[in-house]
Amino acid sequence: MTFGSGAMTNSIDEIGQAQVILVSGSNTTEAHPQVARRIYDAVDRGAKLIVIDPRRTRLARHAHLHLRLRPGTDIPLLNAMMRCILDENLVDDLFIEMRTENYFALRDMLLQVDPGQAAAVAGVAESDIRLAARMYARAQRSVICYCLGVTQHICGTGNVRSYANLAMLTGHVEQEFTGVDPLRGQNNVQGACDMGALPVVLTGYQSVTDPVALGKFARAWGVELSNRPGLTVLDMTHGEQIRAMLVMGENPVLSDPRQDHVIATLKGLDFLAVADIFLSETAALADVVFPVATFAEKSGTVTSSERRVQLMHQAIKPVGAARPDGQVIMALSERLGYPMRYDSEAEVMEEICLLTPIYGGIYHDRLDPGWGLQWPCVDRSHGSTQYLHKYAFARGRGRFEPAKHVAPAEAADEHYPFVLMTGRVYHHYHTGSMTRRSLSLMRECGRSLVEMHPDDGRRLGIGPGDPVRLTSRHGSCSFNADLTPRVETGYLYANFHFPESPVNVLIGDASDPIARIPEFKICAVQVERETA
Amino acid sequence: MMMNKNLVMNKDYLVPLLRKLAKTHRLVAPVRNEYGDTLFTIITDLDRTEIDLDHQPQASLKPYFFPQTDTLCRYVIDCDPATGAMDYSFHVQLPQNRPTVYVGVRSCDMFAVMYTDMVFLHEHERDVYYKQRRDNAIFITIACNTPFDNCFCNATRSGPFLESGFDLQLTDLGDRWFVETGRARGAGLTEDWACFFRPADEADKRAQFQAELEARGRFKQLVHVDLASKLLAEDKVPESIFRDLSSRCQDCGGCAFICPTCTCFNITDQPRDEAGGERVRSWDACTFSGFTAMAGGHNSVDVETGRIRRRFLHKLQYDVDRHGRPSCVGCGRCVGMCFGGVDMIRFISMISEAGENGAEAGE
Ligand code: SF4
Repeated sequence: MTFGSGAMTNSIDEIGQAQVILVSGSNTTEAHPQVARRIYDAVDRGAKLIVIDPRRTRLARHAHLHLRLRPGTDIPLLNAMMRCILDENLVDDLFIEMRTENYFALRDMLLQVDPGQAAAVAGVAESDIRLAARMYARAQRSVICYCLGVTQHICGTGNVRSYANLAMLTGHVEQEFTGVDPLRGQNNVQGACDMGALPVVLTGYQSVTDPVALGKFARAWGVELSNRPGLTVLDMTHGEQIRAMLVMGENPVLSDPRQDHVIATLKGLDFLAVADIFLSETAALADVVFPVATFAEKSGTVTSSERRVQLMHQAIKPVGAARPDGQVIMALSERLGYPMRYDSEAEVMEEICLLTPIYGGIYHDRLDPGWGLQWPCVDRSHGSTQYLHKYAFARGRGRFEPAKHVAPAEAADEHYPFVLMTGRVYHHYHTGSMTRRSLSLMRECGRSLVEMHPDDGRRLGIGPGDPVRLTSRHGSCSFNADLTPRVETGYLYANFHFPESPVNVLIGDASDPIARIPEFKICAVQVERETA
Repeated sequence: MMMNKNLVMNKDYLVPLLRKLAKTHRLVAPVRNEYGDTLFTIITDLDRTEIDLDHQPQASLKPYFFPQTDTLCRYVIDCDPATGAMDYSFHVQLPQNRPTVYVGVRSCDMFAVMYTDMVFLHEHERDVYYKQRRDNAIFITIACNTPFDNCFCNATRSGPFLESGFDLQLTDLGDRWFVETGRARGAGLTEDWACFFRPADEADKRAQFQAELEARGRFKQLVHVDLASKLLAEDKVPESIFRDLSSRCQDCGGCAFICPTCTCFNITDQPRDEAGGERVRSWDACTFSGFTAMAGGHNSVDVETGRIRRRFLHKLQYDVDRHGRPSCVGCGRCVGMCFGGVDMIRFISMISEAGENGAEAGE
């Protein structure tokens, strides 16, 4: 990758001290309220806020500049911004010289960019792009926060690289209060990635093709490991490459695109086991279901967006037959002929320290009491790392990776005239397997709404709350209409929290060729009012 | 009425006194945990617990009398197999009454208990669940010599020193506590354990007077609570203020949950098995949009600005009409809680500023 590791370069607290904050593809107040709090603090202190988002989110209403781009046009927008930075000589030459490589490739590409044309593609005024470029580049402490609105496109990797290019071009990376911060979802998505829950890496982003790393694991585990990358989730849940599956705490029936394919794949398995705290839609298809402990019933660590590893303690004993996930894995492994005998979570952590350089000094006793440690923390004498890439990028030099616009796979046309974006709402979490069980949250938001501009509603004879049916090239699904100017005419926004409205049946299986993230943010649909 | 007595207690004697009281009472006091949070905590081992009287407890005493979720009764469903008729029977679940000494309660929180008493113990409409927890409570409060950063109890007339409501009020005089008795139970306590106290002399009284005077000068916030109530009553608050603040409110309910005087609740039936379940009361908040939502999803108020209006009008206008004073006790907790900065201080500052400008423009 561009910097060499995938995590927030800053700490969340640093955002409050930034002078310019560029938020892209993130409905921060709803999805990351604790980050939004720092953004409000910074704005109250006089910081400038730039929001890049097709929707007028709550944060966008507070922005000094809202670039309301067409979904999927981050790359032309950023290229236009960078061209402007180049033209106005706001480039950080020293930083580029000392700390980066491949700059000329980016510069040559930018010199071919026509900002006017790029602005037209993105649907944003060229003058606003220039303004954003100046604001971002001129400030000393500029921060970029981005989220799934940037990554869930067929050009997601290119989008992320473009934000990294922008930060490196202006030297906004290696210091406190300035950097590039992807905001992660669950309390432990970062931890899952750190532990190698990605197809190409072992723990701590050690490549599965690296013989030295593999040798180390082979010695610790007494088995040889494969040096071939694994499959992405999308490859696993669509197709016939897999015969048996253990799904832990995921609900792909609702969370992955093309529900029909996912169900067919899961039903076609020889064996499916699901470990979850509730009987999810996926668990309902399983041969064996393991009831597992909730957060309050187990101990261990979680790692937050800001690379902070924190210890959590069991508060109550697991209810009923539930067991902590770790024990399920150990028992299964034992039956499969590879006994694992860990007496405590601390013992598991010791193995993580042994095999994972960035976690090398993160022992349980150092985490308790207090707020934990931020990786990298290579040994016991190493403290917490507040921000990354202080003197050098993880991969040595930061590499510019120029990116070009990629047209979305699911463009609107005369048959499917609306572009649907999907995402989340404040009161629910993912497939709702937990939040739909809370009466208060259901009272706040109890049915699946699709946001539509009031003008479109009027044109189609759709009133507030009316039942509507969305049909894409792949499937169709019903919602109730929420008429709001948060979306522009021609665009719709829906969430995937409700099994009654499994919006992912609409989504195609086109995905980013590198990260294999589906194009959740763009889907062409037609809309009709449903008659009761 | 009984005269309040003024006494003095050596600082070293607080724990020994509490040890005596703990023989017959449960003890609750602020304790700082390993994460640096000070919380009211039930003390089971006085020797291993350090009572923290230097920081404001993050939550008030509210959950001790009005828990976040409270089982009111259990219900059993009887189904007559012959007719298919269903019959519910309810079995009240009263909480235990535990005589408790609450130690280190700051004036605002003491005042808040007196306020919630008005809500829950009003004449004949007594709430038995609240009463059961509230009876036999003793309050050893602590006057605030140094108000915290977000405090404004001077403006709500609920501190920093109280005249009544407490059993004992302690004032820190450096090496000793100045002790005032309030309710009869407090006076009785000083008689039962007279060995820990001595009568206050003139020098003690002067020192106490001085401490109180100085405390009043130490507030960092200037909050015009009465002016705010007046402007609201005269309907002189510009709509734009509600709009601005509302756009920063994310509907989390944190302000109402943390507020010592917010008492809205919801009641739900939670099935436990085929045969029955529990009727549960849980905290609610007027800032939730579901608070006014009707069946079918219609909402009688504009959800976004409506919730902010409900909250501030309730605290600063409706309660003034009903109880003669605002229900905000100036503890400042909502200031630290709200991530959007939609708090009492900001609201009052905004409307008093607008009020001043309006007045100037009018002249
Ligand atoms: S409104 Fe705020 S300051 Fe007033 S009592 Fe409630 S939490 Fe404290």
